[in-house]
Amino acid sequence: MANKGLGEFEELVLLAVCILDGEGYGISVKKEVERHSGRSILLGAVHITLYRLQDKGLLQSKIGGSTVKRGGRSKRFFKITDSGLKHLKAAQEVRQKMWELIPQLKFNM
Amino acid sequence: MRQKEENNTPALANWLASKFLKKTQHEEFLGDLEEIYRERVSRNGKFYARMKYWLDMFHILIGFSVLNPFKTDSAMYGHYLIIAKRNLWRNKVYSAINIFGLATGMGICLLICQYVYFESGYDKFHRNFENIFRVLIHENRNGTDQGTSPYATYMFGEAAKDEIPEIEDFVRVLKANESAVVSHPRSGRPVNENASNFLFADESFLEVFDFPLKSGAKESALNGMGSIVITQKTSEKYFGSDDPIGSTLEINGGNLPGNYIVTGVLKELPLNSQFQFDFLLPLENFWKNGNGGSVNRYGGWIREMFATYFTISESGDVPLISSKLDELFLKYRGRENADQQVVEKTRLQPIGDVHLKSESYASIDFVSNKGSLKDVRIFSLVAFFVLFIAWVNYINLSTARSMQRAREVGVRKSIGAFRRQLIGQFLVESTLINIVAAFLAIGIAFLALPLLGRIVGKELQLSLLWIPMFWGIFFAIVLIGSFLSGLYPAFILSGFKPISMLGTAKTVQAGNTTLRKGLITFQFLTSLILISGTYLVYKQITYMKNQELGMNIEKVLVLKGPKIIKDSPKVIDGTDMNQIRAFNEFSRSTFRTFRDEVSTDRSISKVAGSYSLPGRVDFIPISDNRKLGLPESAGRYGRLAFASLDFLETFGFELMAGSTFTKEMSEEEYVIINEEAVRSFGFGSARDAVGEKLISGGIPVTVIGVVKDFHWESLREPDAPYIFSFTDSTPPYISFRMDLSDIHASLEHIERVYDLFYPGNPFDYFFLEEDFNRQYQADVRFGNLFLAFTILGILIACIGLFALVSYSATLRMKEIGVRKVLGAGTGNLMMLLSKEYLVLLLWATVLAIPIILYTSKEWLEGYAFRTSIGFDLLLIPASILLVISIVTVSRQTYSAATLNPVKALKMDT
Repeated sequence: MANKGLGEFEELVLLAVCILDGEGYGISVKKEVERHSGRSILLGAVHITLYRLQDKGLLQSKIGGSTVKRGGRSKRFFKITDSGLKHLKAAQEVRQKMWELIPQLKFNM
Repeated sequence: MRQKEENNTPALANWLASKFLKKTQHEEFLGDLEEIYRERVSRNGKFYARMKYWLDMFHILIGFSVLNPFKTDSAMYGHYLIIAKRNLWRNKVYSAINIFGLATGMGICLLICQYVYFESGYDKFHRNFENIFRVLIHENRNGTDQGTSPYATYMFGEAAKDEIPEIEDFVRVLKANESAVVSHPRSGRPVNENASNFLFADESFLEVFDFPLKSGAKESALNGMGSIVITQKTSEKYFGSDDPIGSTLEINGGNLPGNYIVTGVLKELPLNSQFQFDFLLPLENFWKNGNGGSVNRYGGWIREMFATYFTISESGDVPLISSKLDELFLKYRGRENADQQVVEKTRLQPIGDVHLKSESYASIDFVSNKGSLKDVRIFSLVAFFVLFIAWVNYINLSTARSMQRAREVGVRKSIGAFRRQLIGQFLVESTLINIVAAFLAIGIAFLALPLLGRIVGKELQLSLLWIPMFWGIFFAIVLIGSFLSGLYPAFILSGFKPISMLGTAKTVQAGNTTLRKGLITFQFLTSLILISGTYLVYKQITYMKNQELGMNIEKVLVLKGPKIIKDSPKVIDGTDMNQIRAFNEFSRSTFRTFRDEVSTDRSISKVAGSYSLPGRVDFIPISDNRKLGLPESAGRYGRLAFASLDFLETFGFELMAGSTFTKEMSEEEYVIINEEAVRSFGFGSARDAVGEKLISGGIPVTVIGVVKDFHWESLREPDAPYIFSFTDSTPPYISFRMDLSDIHASLEHIERVYDLFYPGNPFDYFFLEEDFNRQYQADVRFGNLFLAFTILGILIACIGLFALVSYSATLRMKEIGVRKVLGAGTGNLMMLLSKEYLVLLLWATVLAIPIILYTSKEWLEGYAFRTSIGFDLLLIPASILLVISIVTVSRQTYSAATLNPVKALKMDT
């Protein structure tokens, strides 16, 4: 698994979980990703990705507080694992290296 | 309390979630969903929130539920496909039946969808179609409804545009009502063109409607008085491959004889346009050249004959505009209307509605091929039925076959297959079959399209296939179909206990028999309804054709009258009565000598001229009639047809009172009316009417005879009051009552005399009976279409039944063997096997009674003269279905019943 790269969406979700620092659950992650990426995302997609990342061992979760807004149902909060953090960093490094190799950036703006 | 209800999440979606999600996830997801749902309700409203809720729920269900086929390892998938393929190959007959049945069902469904799409797409190709309206005028006189008509006066459109700011543009359209002879002066051969080929329209016609020009300028094509726009087809007909722009066409006869310069060529008109014509002429021309006399006289506010269309600004409020239009009547016709106690109300009909929603004023509607909303609805229903029957087949066959798959499922289960995986496997199978069937269906639709086109009389194309939307819906339906039709067998099969499937003692029931019986009953029911519908359509057509017409149209040959009368005095000014009189005098004497001359042949017994013919309503102006001495408000609607000497005798009308026309009578002063007219105009009895004076269309005439009621038109239409007015001028139609034994010699004689008196005219003839029966073409087509779909629907149901019976026969093989050994006869056994299906048929028949009675009554409402609804409507379809099912079943039951019992008992099932 370790050598398998992260998908773009997976990376965004991971980052959002990091930003939320323990407060990340389905909706907050969805909003965080939407805010930064500017696109609208299906809730289901977030859930599926969160669970997939947990299966891969990049996230861990625990059941947390319930509110009236949710009809008294509890949330599942996600937190990044060490392995998850390693993956994120690795992805970042790969990109950084590649960016540095581009000879000259010309922006025609 | 109310508040709480508002905020409730969709219960059905929650229920689904509780069924298919794990307990732990269930809580968390529903929590998230509810939270976001509340946000959406407050932000975007309830509807949006609910839709989104469903969408999210589906997404989660597919992602997490036990049904998730995507969670299975991809290797497993390949395995499922292989197993599915093997299964299909192993039972070739059943697979073929399954796939072919489904494909036929889908193919038919596709065709009907195409037809419905075509019919409902009429006039929607105009870019601006949503803002184009046709004006309809409803007239109420003296408190009685005079009906709705699409015709307005000449000035109505102009005044509306000038005085109502929301109306951006208007077009008046007028269909010609006289046929003409058209020729290209250089190439010369004259051609008879029907009245319906000519259309008069305002300049704005090409601006308001989107009929692209192939050549010529859109802005100026209809400007000049002598200009004419033709279609591409017409251009090829008269000019071949030459460019016709600037060439001259000579039109003789018709509403507007003269020489015209071609200023534009239109690309082929779309088939789904309400306007179908070959020649487009400027409307201005129509009234400036004589025909507009009466229009001009009253400032253009009498003579309703122009179909008027408006383009309305985007922001325009339709009811408001309509009420402003009503005010125009008060302003310009207030006094006349008040005198006659007439109230006129307008309604704006969207142009897209004209084709399908013009039922009530159809008979005077000039829309060329009026569609029927009812037909379209009926066919949509049939499409659904057929598809449903096909799916039911699939479900039935698959559950019945579950017996055979039981051992496979048992083995799978005992070595550790989850239920989810089994369900996935069967869903993969059903999806495979459905998709194969779907592609076959498109092929079938392509093959059957020309057939459908021939039946409906329109050249259809599978234009649906070019719409991306269609593919989305198509695959959605196929997927939903495969899901639904696969779900039941999948659950049944995966639900068996492995021990019962592997043991030798067969305790497994082949699916839920109640459901299967229910489905078969439903199939029988649909088949019954379809057969009875077909039967009713044909019964009605036969009824209409066999009715006493009140006239004799057999052995009548009709010749299209001449448009060119050689050496006749010219009418240069349409308002100069002297010129008209001189022309009529000449026309009359020519016709009279022609008639005397042509009658010399022994095969011809009577010759009559007329302005119209039974079965046709062209040349029949609607006139306003009242008894002399009654006020104008007592006017009644009637149809005025001009007829010559011997008219009654040629067409075999039955005279009830008075006498027929004689040579000495002066033209247009003497009339013969029918019984309906006697009743409608208030004459008391036929005898009383004779000798009375009538004001018909403003002219006083004398009634000299009354004929028995007749069916001038199709029996779809109710009887109308007719007024035959005497004229002996050269008519548009010359009819011959003749002996047809030596038709060639007779025709030769007629042609020779015709050429002698009317040189330069084409010789076009036809037989009246044929022409008359053409009215029923639409009904016959409808019947044929219905028949075709019914046959296919029954075919699909039959193959399903066939497969099912053969299956149940193999299941009961051992039982049959035992019964045989104990002495049961073949007939006995066959009865045993067929009995359960016959009971189902009986049930279906009982259920069908109310449906058939109700729908038949509904459908017959569209006809003025209806056949009776009797028990034959039920008995005949039921017996047909009985025979078909017995034949279907008997082959299988017979072979099962005659099988050597030793073989059956040895079998290891």
